Amino acid sequence: MKKLVLVSMGVAVLLFTGCSQKNPDVDMTNKNQKMQKTDNNTAGNGGMNTNNMDSNSMSGNAMANNSENTVKYLIANLESKLSPIYFDFNKYNVRADMQPVVEKSATMLDADKAQKLSIKVEGNADEWGTDEYNYALGLKRAKTVKDELSAQGVSTDRMMIVSYGESNPVCTEHNKACWSKNRRVDFELLP
Amino acid sequence: MIKKIILILMFTSVIFAADATVEIVKKIDSLPKIAIQDASDSSVNLNFRKRFYKIIAGDLRVSAHFRVLDEYLKSSFDGSAQENFLSKKSVDLILRFKITLQNDYVIAIVKLINASSGEVKNETNYKIQNKKRYPFLAHRIVVAINDLIGAPSIKWMEQFVIFSKYTGAKQSEIVVSDYTLSFQKTIVKGGLNIFPVWANSAQNAFYYSSYNGYVPTLYKVDLTNGSREKIISSKGMLVCSDVSADGKKLLLTMAPNDQTDIYLYDLAYKQLEKITKYSGIDVNGNFVDNDKKIIFVSDRLGYPNIFSKNLDSSSGVEQMVYRGKNNNSVSAIGNYIVYSSREKTSEFGRKVFNLYLISTKTDYVRQLTANGRNLYPRFANDKETIMFIKQYKNQSSLGIIRLNANKSYLFPLKVGKIQSIDW
Repeated sequence: MKKLVLVSMGVAVLLFTGCSQKNPDVDMTNKNQKMQKTDNNTAGNGGMNTNNMDSNSMSGNAMANNSENTVKYLIANLESKLSPIYFDFNKYNVRADMQPVVEKSATMLDADKAQKLSIKVEGNADEWGTDEYNYALGLKRAKTVKDELSAQGVSTDRMMIVSYGESNPVCTEHNKACWSKNRRVDFELLP
Repeated sequence: MIKKIILILMFTSVIFAADATVEIVKKIDSLPKIAIQDASDSSVNLNFRKRFYKIIAGDLRVSAHFRVLDEYLKSSFDGSAQENFLSKKSVDLILRFKITLQNDYVIAIVKLINASSGEVKNETNYKIQNKKRYPFLAHRIVVAINDLIGAPSIKWMEQFVIFSKYTGAKQSEIVVSDYTLSFQKTIVKGGLNIFPVWANSAQNAFYYSSYNGYVPTLYKVDLTNGSREKIISSKGMLVCSDVSADGKKLLLTMAPNDQTDIYLYDLAYKQLEKITKYSGIDVNGNFVDNDKKIIFVSDRLGYPNIFSKNLDSSSGVEQMVYRGKNNNSVSAIGNYIVYSSREKTSEFGRKVFNLYLISTKTDYVRQLTANGRNLYPRFANDKETIMFIKQYKNQSSLGIIRLNANKSYLFPLKVGKIQSIDW
């Protein structure tokens, strides 16, 4: 992994070296003055690819043995049974109709077989509003669900929360039904 | 004639400098009418010349200091009597350019001609490396022509814009562009990379949040050597909302304990200080008042609204805006605050977000937009220009508002949705 990171950084440096002077520095001279070459920039077409650049990335772990395959199967099985928790516009309290969904989730996540898994509680928002606020709103939704799960017995040590704001829609149409699907909390299970 | 134009522009700029929250429509007849002539050799690609002309014409219009003759004119470089005198078309000035391409350079020789007397007022050579960057060459020419007539500076046209755009679920790219989006260069791609902000006024480094690792992480990228430095990580979320004028401190929205608050981060001492301590949402901190105070968005009244707080942690929080029930984004410069507010209904349709300008010294509120979703306003350095994101129907655009001229312009993004901007 460390080698991969270094290679990626090397590529990034190479690309940025290509535009070592980002500012175009338009060279301006008067009629009778000799034009001076000041701009050595050669803007490349590439960019920095940050895939795999984070040294603590969770992705890329190969499943090498049966034990890992069993965990992988358990995760897939549990995730397929967990439902999103939906929220009202601009709200982060759990709606009454979502309470049974939270309780069912808590039961599954607190079951013996799930105890070895970590839980990433992901908050999301619809496309309305400014994104910075939406990231905070998504986080409050995730925090609310985490607190509810905790109150029903799921250990807080197993849970972490993150917000994806409006960046992770499950529906991309522009209507009420779609927006209501995007105001949600999802679960991702980790070994 | 030129002296008269300068006097008129100086007079109008003094009037408009009084209070930007008061809506004044500039008298259009008092502006000089300018024609643009292309004197380039036929060996230069005609499409390229016309694109160059379009950017120059657009810049002159956006400056709001000229009336532009909407006609692509060809001419010789020295100019005949017919080409140098355009008073029949009520033209006051002629901007004549001659483009040549040499190796990797675009070179433009530009004349400013008095269309009544035929006199060449100025002739200047400009050049830029890399043909793709010709929009900056056009912007530079218009900034210089604007300076020549003594109009208020439009140097903001040369500022680089940095923005993030969504390209798919949990996927975004960071792009550097000019204000018209005519030049675009993707500089970060792969995964979710968001909220880029310039690290300094020289615009040679920037911060951004990466959501690709185990926890959100803030990085600084130095564009002069391509190095990337990790600044800080936080569980939950992490956004660099603003950078102090001296570039030494950051306002961060982060949630190390699952609770979003605004923090002040001292880059030299790597010290983190919690500025807000409310149990709900506090985001979008902006330095104001010589970096001694911040304004920010909070839902402490039960809905998003704009508040301020001295950076002295013992001080309380002051409500800044008393209208609207969903004011979710803010930017400030000097005494002026611009914010985005969700309207319940409007004649243009339901659920629009409009931008409003207020002054901390008066009670005026000026509405700046009328339809669509107008978000993420950002002042230019000159206080007269605001950039913002507009979502209208399925189109994402970069918007420019010229406060003194009471005009706005949109530059659509062809692919993707703009996530955040800085300039």
